[in-house]
Amino acid sequence: MKMKRFVAALLAGAMMMTGLAGCGSSGSSDNGSAASTSKNKVSLWATGSDNVREVYEALIEDFNKNSEYAGKYEVELNFMLNGTGTQTLTDMLAAASKAGQTDTDYDLVDLGGDDLSKVVSQIGEEAFVKLDDSKIPNAEGIEAESSVAADYVQPYRGTTVVLAYDSEKVANPPKTWDELVDWMKANPGRFAYNTPGTGGAGDSFARTSVYNFMDEEAITSDDAKWEENWDDGFKYLADLHQYMYTSGGSIVYPNKNQGTLDLLNQGEIDMCPNWADMVLSQRAEGTLKDTIKITQLDPALTGSFQSLAIPTFGSNEEGAYAFINYMLSESAQEILVKQMAAIPLIDTSKIDMTGFEDVENLDVSSFRIMSIGDLSTDFNERWDNEIGTLG
Amino acid sequence: MSKRLKQNLAAYGMVIPAFLVVMLTVTYPIISAVIQSFQDEKTGAFTLDNYAYFFTEPAQLKNLLFTLFVVFVTVAIAIVVAYLLALYLRFTKSKIAKTIGTLYLVPRFVPAMCAVYAMITIIRDSGLINRIGLLFGMDIKLGMMYHASGIITMNLWFNIPFAAMMITAGLGAIPDSIIEGARDVGAGKFKTFTSMILPLSIKDVIIAATFVFMTNVGSFTTPYLMGGNSPKMLGIALFDQFNKYLAYNRSAALSVIMFLICSVSAGVYIYTNLKEQDWEKQ
Repeated sequence: MKMKRFVAALLAGAMMMTGLAGCGSSGSSDNGSAASTSKNKVSLWATGSDNVREVYEALIEDFNKNSEYAGKYEVELNFMLNGTGTQTLTDMLAAASKAGQTDTDYDLVDLGGDDLSKVVSQIGEEAFVKLDDSKIPNAEGIEAESSVAADYVQPYRGTTVVLAYDSEKVANPPKTWDELVDWMKANPGRFAYNTPGTGGAGDSFARTSVYNFMDEEAITSDDAKWEENWDDGFKYLADLHQYMYTSGGSIVYPNKNQGTLDLLNQGEIDMCPNWADMVLSQRAEGTLKDTIKITQLDPALTGSFQSLAIPTFGSNEEGAYAFINYMLSESAQEILVKQMAAIPLIDTSKIDMTGFEDVENLDVSSFRIMSIGDLSTDFNERWDNEIGTLG
Repeated sequence: MSKRLKQNLAAYGMVIPAFLVVMLTVTYPIISAVIQSFQDEKTGAFTLDNYAYFFTEPAQLKNLLFTLFVVFVTVAIAIVVAYLLALYLRFTKSKIAKTIGTLYLVPRFVPAMCAVYAMITIIRDSGLINRIGLLFGMDIKLGMMYHASGIITMNLWFNIPFAAMMITAGLGAIPDSIIEGARDVGAGKFKTFTSMILPLSIKDVIIAATFVFMTNVGSFTTPYLMGGNSPKMLGIALFDQFNKYLAYNRSAALSVIMFLICSVSAGVYIYTNLKEQDWEKQ
């Protein structure tokens, strides 16, 4: 009897250990075997806010059911919500590449902005398949080109930071940076930008302010030498500090893009930088007031292209190409416009833009694309120490 | 194999899995974090710079003091209010008391994120209170957003029910006979409280306080959504170091600092528990 109990205990212990071991390794075995079992499955990896997940779910359903590839390939989404503090997609790709993994299920990845330049500086553009234009017929005539690894990634939508304002309070929105500063001085406490590092709109405003004082080539360089030229820009931001939104007796920079957008919607501020797609899609849903409009400054706040890339260590290149081609089709581009107010890269006359006419005015050819890669880390730290602490 | 050995082996067999899991997921990371906190980011050589940074950089020092301020105020208010609430629930036998007794735990079941946003929509300068004020021609701006007072208010929402729950359990263990006994020998309400109820429940009060203290030192959601840019609470400062600046060695040092702050209250907790055992021995 005792022996039985002893064996049972040992078995229970052993089972628990194997269970745990299983947990540990299941992640990596997923990466390898899942894709190779069915050749028509394409695993797509993306990260971003929840609206990105929603639009991808709609796109994938359309691709799997209605597109010319329906039945031939089946795309599956692996989505990581940003800001949840887990391992980022860039880290995962870098790890898989550096560990020499092959035949993983990183078939297709969605990258853009800093993420893309980070990955490229970590593992090199050769970690991605050099795109064969003949396999993406829909890309013909698309001028948008990534500022990083242009031959290896295919942009599929644009997005840019704009100035969002309440047209009830601001009749003539500023058109230049000087006009904006004049407006701030005349209306202290009515402007806010979110803390850099907590959302792209604040990043763009702070960085554009600083890089407006620098050579245009600096804006797409991750060379550390440019950090020396940040001083004028940071002084400019420090000067603007006194005109920012005030709460509880001190100047405040809210966290996250949504933080400033909420303030704008509640009428606590009249103007803030924000993503065109966020403003327009929330206005279309009715969560933002109709009086909130967008405008662009000159020189422009930065925008970027979101791109798709095929890692060389993935396992379904043909399927990945098929999905890239689909993303540049008229139906996919229309879904992107309708669901997230993305800026389409194909000719807007080919798609129904009803309700999203504002998007048409955001010309992708005048996009100011910024990619400073790892310098963004130093930039945010310096901002936190010099501007965030001004109080 | 002797019977005793078999029994021992069976016991170890049952403990080892849990033990290994703790070693692997708790002890090992703590040790490696402590080691990392003394290493230079680039060379890996021994250094105290990672710690010095948090005590010499004015912004970081402010964060530390701000965190302690918020936490101490939270603990003080939460415990006093919770104790009063618990006393009321224990010694009042009315319908209202009964209703409060069932309702006071509701905040514990509201997801943190929803509760924080709900609070924001009420207290923000353009929030519910402001709008009600506007109806009567008053422009009330509480200024609680991005300010310590907002964070503390939110902390109280989370911590008063928790502390009240612990203290109520303690008070529930005091038999009515003790109180009646005290009354029989002529003790007034105040005397009964100071010489009977308070000494018998103080242990639970202290334990509740240590728990409230520890959970608030590292809090994140509330200060992230309701706090300002400077000073920040340590949870946010740690997030900045780790996720924004990718300064892993400094993050490790800050974690150790937070661990030490918490261990003061853990010490109080252990001391309080041990003291009881002494008393039970006599």
